[in-house]
Amino acid sequence: MTTTTQPESTASRPPSRLSKIWKSSSIIFDSPIGMVGLAIVVFWVGMAVLSLFWTPHDPNEQYFRDQRRSAYIMTYLPWVDLEDYDEITRPDPRFLLGTDKTGRDILSRVMAGGQVVLLKTRIPLPTDDVRRQDEISALSRFLDRIAPEEWDEFVIPGGVAIWGVLGSLVVGTTFGLLAGYKGGWTEQIVMQIMDALVAFPRIVLYIVVIAALGQGDLVIIIAITVTGAPGIARLSRSLALDIKTRDYIRAAETRGEGLFYIMFREILPNARGPLLVDAMLRVGYAIFTIGTLGFLGLGLQPPEPDWGSMVNDGRELIFSQPNIVIWPAVAISTLVIGLNLFADGVREELSRYQK
Amino acid sequence: MARFLMRSVVSTLVTMLIVSAVLFTLLEVSGRDVTVQILGVFATPEQRESLRKQLGLDQPAFIRYVDWLAGNDWRLRDELGNVQTVFNEVSQEPEWYILLDDGRYVRHEACNRVEDIDSGFCESGEMLYLVRNEDSSFFREKAGDVWTEDPETGENIFWGVDTGNRAAKWVEGGGETAFVSTQTGVQELSGAAVQWVPLRKGLIRGDAGVSLKTTRPVSKTLPVRIRNTAILAGLAFVVVMPLALFLGIITGINEGKFFDRFVSVTSLALTATPEFVTGVLLILIVGIYWSTDWLPSLVEAGWLGEWALEALKVPTTTLADSPNAIFEKPKELILPVLTLTAVELGYIVRMTRASMVEVMAAPYIRTAIIKGMPFKRVVFRHAVRNALLAPITIIMLHINYLIGGIVVVEVIFGFQGLGKFIFDHSIFGDPNAVEAAAMVTVIIAIATRLLGDLAYTFLNPRIRYA
Repeated sequence: MTTTTQPESTASRPPSRLSKIWKSSSIIFDSPIGMVGLAIVVFWVGMAVLSLFWTPHDPNEQYFRDQRRSAYIMTYLPWVDLEDYDEITRPDPRFLLGTDKTGRDILSRVMAGGQVVLLKTRIPLPTDDVRRQDEISALSRFLDRIAPEEWDEFVIPGGVAIWGVLGSLVVGTTFGLLAGYKGGWTEQIVMQIMDALVAFPRIVLYIVVIAALGQGDLVIIIAITVTGAPGIARLSRSLALDIKTRDYIRAAETRGEGLFYIMFREILPNARGPLLVDAMLRVGYAIFTIGTLGFLGLGLQPPEPDWGSMVNDGRELIFSQPNIVIWPAVAISTLVIGLNLFADGVREELSRYQK
Repeated sequence: MARFLMRSVVSTLVTMLIVSAVLFTLLEVSGRDVTVQILGVFATPEQRESLRKQLGLDQPAFIRYVDWLAGNDWRLRDELGNVQTVFNEVSQEPEWYILLDDGRYVRHEACNRVEDIDSGFCESGEMLYLVRNEDSSFFREKAGDVWTEDPETGENIFWGVDTGNRAAKWVEGGGETAFVSTQTGVQELSGAAVQWVPLRKGLIRGDAGVSLKTTRPVSKTLPVRIRNTAILAGLAFVVVMPLALFLGIITGINEGKFFDRFVSVTSLALTATPEFVTGVLLILIVGIYWSTDWLPSLVEAGWLGEWALEALKVPTTTLADSPNAIFEKPKELILPVLTLTAVELGYIVRMTRASMVEVMAAPYIRTAIIKGMPFKRVVFRHAVRNALLAPITIIMLHINYLIGGIVVVEVIFGFQGLGKFIFDHSIFGDPNAVEAAAMVTVIIAIATRLLGDLAYTFLNPRIRYA
């Protein structure tokens, strides 16, 4: 966008935009903590990418379906001894981490569990299948028109956590900058609404929103957006309060620039550092939230693996086969720890950079 | 200060209003048919429609919101007369009656019981008074001619209070077939009223309505849950706070040493682990490995006596569904408290440590050390008080977040507290119960924030609230 005002070919131009971004982002390499965090995050992203192309087994295939009909036993014959499940859930050379109660490979599912969180968002398209009628929105009807006939869901890159945080960034900064820059009644009203959202019991909000809109990736994105926005609004408001006293804002006002130009082209670029660090932490919280919702049975659409639901599913077998629970649990915690370490490292380096 | 408090109270009320309205709207548009939840999926559409009318769900959402907020007895007084609540000594719940001019409390019923009609006591469809005795029981009496003509339709109608604490409109000679859900199933009832409005006093007069899930007043069931959660959170608080502040201060003084690194990494790991993971792993470690493997082998090896087998065993779940179970089996609190402790510990340690590090780098601490003051004195006199400023505010703000964690912990352990109450009733789609519980959490969230502000003023005299 900014390049349009610059001439296309300038050999003696000061460092290009890309190299500037590289230069400012390479400060992370100075922070050992940040590097450890980055390594963990890259590991899980790599796992998720790998699982798009290859997993040891199909993550959704039930390999012991015929032998034991375990799901049936689990549901209707709860008095059957759980020890009987040992045989199908125990790790063996074929299934390194064992299988879950319906005979799906844990290793493949743990690998693929990062997909929905980090890499892809699924929007189901209207089909004749009644089981999939949950989340038929105007958006999915529109997508149905542009998507090829045989698709039954529309997949967009970027996981649920990423889109959720982006959504709350957009909503939060819009309201926060508006409140901080305009002040007065606008600020009072916006912050009152944001305070109400903060005071809103989150879990009720999630449950009610999910009940209202049905289960699915888009709904989780909306839920994360709504709960994340107040915090970002608060932060960007305080940043805007500081930045709006600067001379360049005065200059823009004198030039007669509009409200949104000043908000997004003058204030926002100068507030991006703290907002980016906050957003990084929020991706961690979002993964946390998705896991928790999955655990409560309100998460992403089955059957594709999602770590939270995997923990919930494995909970009843925990006495005989803790593997089912441990690995997805480890996946969530390490990914969130990684993101936290990474954000810590960036923040540390940023504050040193500014000193 | 008084102005600051005034403004906070007003802001709290506005927030509660916004939250309740938003929640009501969300529950309204959620499209979750509560009649399916109550009657089951095999109920016929007629049965569901009848139940909807009995629950007053056929009225517009706005009117129901006002009813919920401010009650509707004052609105219905024209039709009903002097309608009042009377406390029932047997069920320990308030019931609605109409106070007649002669001092009798009555409710109404259309004559439809077979034995009454057969014995010639009344004719089918005739209105009966259910007159209240002193001991909360009642007897039936003929009401006589109570019908008034409805100017719009020309039918003879009567507004009264039925046994379900609802204002009900009967039509003479008409009467529809209603389906009443009882413990034995759905019963058909002829000569029933044609319109119902559940009577309520409204939240601002202390009546949170009747839960559709338990059919008991929310104001009876909710306080027990709040008490349980308060005990759980309070115990966790008592365990966490001293430990976390202590660890935070120690690590803050020893920045960069091994102990600091170890505690920092551990607390980061604890913070970054979701509550449900911590809970499940604790069940695994304490409930299974400790109770079934390690404890017996310790006893076998002679480290512990036989008594330890039972005494030190930790139960994994709250099996009893009773809200009072925590008093009968206090050991069931161990794992929930441990989980909450683990979840909160890391966060507070990190906050305290960061604040302590910052304070220890301040010039006045350096001065105090240089002038030869004993290090202990520097830390406890000069540093700690200032270092606790930031964590206290942040911890107070964090309590709101903690409520979300409590829901998960209570669901994992089947703990009968506020969080599980909210979860169960939200899943059911029970507006009265969810609204009331949400109001409680809003009050907690705002009150703790206010307390944080006040504590901050107290600890930092430079702050003045206008």
